Amino acid sequence: MPYTIPIGPYHPALEEAYKVNVRCVAETVQQVSVDVGFSFRAIELLAQRREWVPDVTLIERVCGICSNVHAMTFCRAAERIAGIEVPARAQYIRTIISELERLHSHLLWAGLAAEYMGFQTLFMEIYTLREQVMDLLETISGNRVNYGMNRIGGVNRDIADLNSVIATVQAMAAPIENDVVPAFMNNATARGRMSGVGPLTKEQAIEWGVVGPVARASGVATDVRVDHPYLAYQELGFKIVTRQEGDVRARVVVRALELLESIRIVAEALRNMPSGPLRAFEGMPDIPPGEAVALTEAPRGEVIYYVASDGGKTPARVKIRTPSFVNIPALEAMTIGQQLGDISLIQASVDPCLSCTDR
Amino acid sequence: MEERDREMPRAELIAKLSAVPGAAPVEERRDGLWMLAPQLDVEAMAREMVAIGCRLVTMTGLAQKNGETTIIYHYVRGHEVINFKTVTRNGAIPSLAPMLRPASWIEREIHDFFAVNFVGHPNLVPLLRPASLKDGFFRDPEPGSTVPEKQ
Repeated sequence: MPYTIPIGPYHPALEEAYKVNVRCVAETVQQVSVDVGFSFRAIELLAQRREWVPDVTLIERVCGICSNVHAMTFCRAAERIAGIEVPARAQYIRTIISELERLHSHLLWAGLAAEYMGFQTLFMEIYTLREQVMDLLETISGNRVNYGMNRIGGVNRDIADLNSVIATVQAMAAPIENDVVPAFMNNATARGRMSGVGPLTKEQAIEWGVVGPVARASGVATDVRVDHPYLAYQELGFKIVTRQEGDVRARVVVRALELLESIRIVAEALRNMPSGPLRAFEGMPDIPPGEAVALTEAPRGEVIYYVASDGGKTPARVKIRTPSFVNIPALEAMTIGQQLGDISLIQASVDPCLSCTDR
Repeated sequence: MEERDREMPRAELIAKLSAVPGAAPVEERRDGLWMLAPQLDVEAMAREMVAIGCRLVTMTGLAQKNGETTIIYHYVRGHEVINFKTVTRNGAIPSLAPMLRPASWIEREIHDFFAVNFVGHPNLVPLLRPASLKDGFFRDPEPGSTVPEKQ
């Protein structure tokens, strides 16, 4: 006899609210639907009522994990409308903060994946590493989240002690390479728990339009840092990490290997940091009538902003498309035919952000 | 090599976009290709974009004062960003959801915010709209200072 289990909107492990309705026969999932909107804040509408500068602060609150990416992408769209050229040093600082943000996001997610598997030792190891990134971000910006680094035309703060940041991130490479990556790739418990679970083929990944590590784990070699180079990524070089298996383990491995690439980019950017100003101008920005699209690779994947200006004090329209908005619906494809007991692990493998999705 | 993986010269891409029924001249801007086509046949456009391996990344709604809504379809193909700007007709426009899965949620969102009727959408129910607000609350100049919790 088929039965339906509502999972959520409040979850014991996930701190954000959304609901997955799972219809099963015995232990096998036959149908899935997802409800979102429990944390809707109408940030797009609010952004159209605030002036350009306070909007940077507002939009940084779209997400508590990838806050920098949102503020930066909004600034990039506004800069594009106004034809503002951001100074090279500011481009490098934005790149460094973006990759530190990716490091702490991927480590947070990897730690949670370890916890969901019941692998507490690995969880502790990963969260110890994540704290080091959080400390770095706090040292640079004064904040553990919502760093306030971006402004239209550049950045608000410099990075003072470059050598100390290089030493800290480089010291993280060894434990990630020697402990974290092998634990997810080779450990029998991790392999047994994740291999073959929650599959998404390359064809399905394209059909559902998923992005970021979810797409790359299904063999879709897409990354905004390569496809639409921005900031300093073209100068620093970047290698897309992909896997072909498309299961939960592939999503974990892609993120784990991306940690090493982020460490390399941060160290390289710090070593080659150009001198010069932090911002294109002082004072308030003047954004003329126009419209622009800006794409950025957030930790969870492609972010796209459409911003329109009518020349007034506030934006005429701010449209925000977050990666979770396109990755969450694909849970349907990943879960049908899977075991009910694997649902929590499969949904975690998408790294869903409801704060981003609901905005 | 699949069609979506093939490098397509920009001139060839523009020619294909220009051949869609209702198309208008393509503008080459710093942030990609733009087409402002009020009479665009959006279903024909979507079929062509699938055929040449373009991915629908999102859609944007913008309220017009006459009650209609500007709809922008944002696509990506390799290094290219392609934007089609069209407009609803009597508040409606054909849904792309029956042929494109990623269109489903974004059409539901635009229906919530701007009350656009996506004709043919298989499940045009609220996605983000709190139950106490009406469809199209982004149009209201003062829809309330707070947004009640979803029921």
